[in-house]
Amino acid sequence: MRLAERLRRLPIATRMQVSALVLVLLVLPAAGVLLSWNFREAVNTAFNERLESLLNVVIAGVSYDVRQDALVTSRQLGDSRFDQVFSGWYWQVSDGGGRVLTSRSLWDQRLVVSHEPGMAFRRITGPRDKPLQLLERDIRLPGFDGVLHVQVAADLGEVEAQVARFQTLLWLSMMTLGGLLIVLTGLQIRWGLAPLRRIEQSLKAVEQGRQSSVETGLPRELNRLAEAINTVLERDQRLIARGRTAAGNLAHAMKTPVAVLTTLAERLPEEQQMAMRSELKRLDEAVRHHLARASAAGPVALGAEQDIVAVLKPVIEGVRRLAGRRNLIFRSELQPLLRVRIDAQDLQEIVGNLLENAINWARSSFSLTGTVEGSLLLLSVSDDGPGMSPETRQEAVSRGGRLDEARSGSGLGLAIVAELAALHGGSLRLDSSADGGLLAEVTIPLTRPLSGG
Amino acid sequence: MKILLVEDDKPLALGLASSLEDAGLLVEIAGDGRTADFLVSTERYDAVVLDLGLPDGNGTQWLSSWREQGIELPVLILTARERWSDKAAGFSAGADDYVTKPFETAEILFRLRALVRRAHGHAHPVIRVGDISLDTHSAQVTRAGMPVSLTAQELRLLSHLVHAAPRVVSRAELTEHVYDGDAEPDSNVIDVQVSRLRRKLGSKSIETLRGQGYRMAADKEAS
Repeated sequence: MRLAERLRRLPIATRMQVSALVLVLLVLPAAGVLLSWNFREAVNTAFNERLESLLNVVIAGVSYDVRQDALVTSRQLGDSRFDQVFSGWYWQVSDGGGRVLTSRSLWDQRLVVSHEPGMAFRRITGPRDKPLQLLERDIRLPGFDGVLHVQVAADLGEVEAQVARFQTLLWLSMMTLGGLLIVLTGLQIRWGLAPLRRIEQSLKAVEQGRQSSVETGLPRELNRLAEAINTVLERDQRLIARGRTAAGNLAHAMKTPVAVLTTLAERLPEEQQMAMRSELKRLDEAVRHHLARASAAGPVALGAEQDIVAVLKPVIEGVRRLAGRRNLIFRSELQPLLRVRIDAQDLQEIVGNLLENAINWARSSFSLTGTVEGSLLLLSVSDDGPGMSPETRQEAVSRGGRLDEARSGSGLGLAIVAELAALHGGSLRLDSSADGGLLAEVTIPLTRPLSGG
Repeated sequence: MKILLVEDDKPLALGLASSLEDAGLLVEIAGDGRTADFLVSTERYDAVVLDLGLPDGNGTQWLSSWREQGIELPVLILTARERWSDKAAGFSAGADDYVTKPFETAEILFRLRALVRRAHGHAHPVIRVGDISLDTHSAQVTRAGMPVSLTAQELRLLSHLVHAAPRVVSRAELTEHVYDGDAEPDSNVIDVQVSRLRRKLGSKSIETLRGQGYRMAADKEAS
């Protein structure tokens, strides 16, 4: 199956589940990235603000001692990390020349001065190759000519650690949320589609013959559909039943007078009798043919699966009794547990007519076999009678529409079988049987239940 | 051979009855199931021809009630219904064979003779007793291979004796199966006909057993 075809046939629940999954997989990571970026920005801003205020404290504490010609600081920064060597937190005041004042933490290292005007943040690599955020500002002190570069630097590791902690938490909660969402949408889909599943189950039950109509206690939208299906089903059955009753009544009404005429014709002189008989036969065959057609149900839209053995049992028992009376041996071999969706009476007609033909021609025995091969129901009846020539066989099968033609003795039954088989999308094939008689083989394609169950 | 024809359509019943009578059968007609039910349980028939569409209930219902009562005589159903679901119902009710309408008298005769022959335990269509043989299909009688011409009543009488052979057949049974119920033949008529048959078939062909009835003589070869 091509991918497009497969996609079109994807069950609704799967479609919804897949789309929910895609949604969760797209939206949650996007939200995570966004949140994480915002958080990082916020943390960075806070960090920079802190650096700025530290810088201001350093600036406020710096003064120039004219007597010693040195820079001095009078303020403590209140953060002990500035006193721990290489702690990552440093400050430095320098005039670009020899006068430098640093925090104790910087020890013998010095921060690089960039000489940029105004206040600027920079990223630098500090002692021990630690990435540092550095804030620098140039100031002038009273009594000191020249510019002082005041710098405060702090370890970015703190920011990174904070962000990393936040991200770990964020992704953990995102994953939990995603999982929860998938499970909940799953439940939602199950609950939302439950009526569809019920209608499907109900259809399956109808197909398997466990129910005669589709369940109707469903939500409003589906209930109308179920009721429509039921109406169609009932109408179907009613139409078939009405057709059959009408055909039966017509048969009864027509056949008795024809039978009377036939008995009367037997009393006529020979040549009149011949003409009369052939006309009566034509009349009878036209009636039989059209009644058989009118009584046929044809392929069923949503019929129950039939157990072939059970459907054919009365026919086979009747034929067996008949065969016994006529001293014929009848063998029947039906594959057991054969369940097929076909109208029960149509199947009885097909097999009954085939067997009737065989019983009328068989010399000593005839047989029936029924199997399923692939998606075909195969019914074959063979007898050890005189058989048919290839031309007669051709004629017998294709006689359907040409009823007015004069016929030889072979039964109309085969033509009816051919028509019934064609009605069900199958065919009748005639051949010579192993013992020289006729082999009649009907193949009918099986309509698989929609659900594949 | 005496048969009961159960058929509600009068023209058909009369036409078929007269055709069957022409062939040498004794036919009684019942127009509905109730009459047939009464006749089947009081009279003796060799077979019943039963139409399935009767005014008082389906023929299959009457048939299955007869079978339940233990009435085992052969029943040939006559049906206008073409469908196998109807035919199958007839068989499961206990029918022995069927003929669909319209039919030819020859077919009914053929089926009836086969059923009666079978009911008497003869599988082959030609029944032989001694040098006398009766072809149940064509109703031909031969004696030592030579055709013998018989009247309808003689044929019925012989046919009953041949079917029943080697059993002894009482006069009462012969009266029931060979003669019309209304005719009430005195025993003389039977005697006269038996002696006529003896003239045509050989004096020792039919034995008289005093106080019991008649029997076909089996071991003709010995004499």
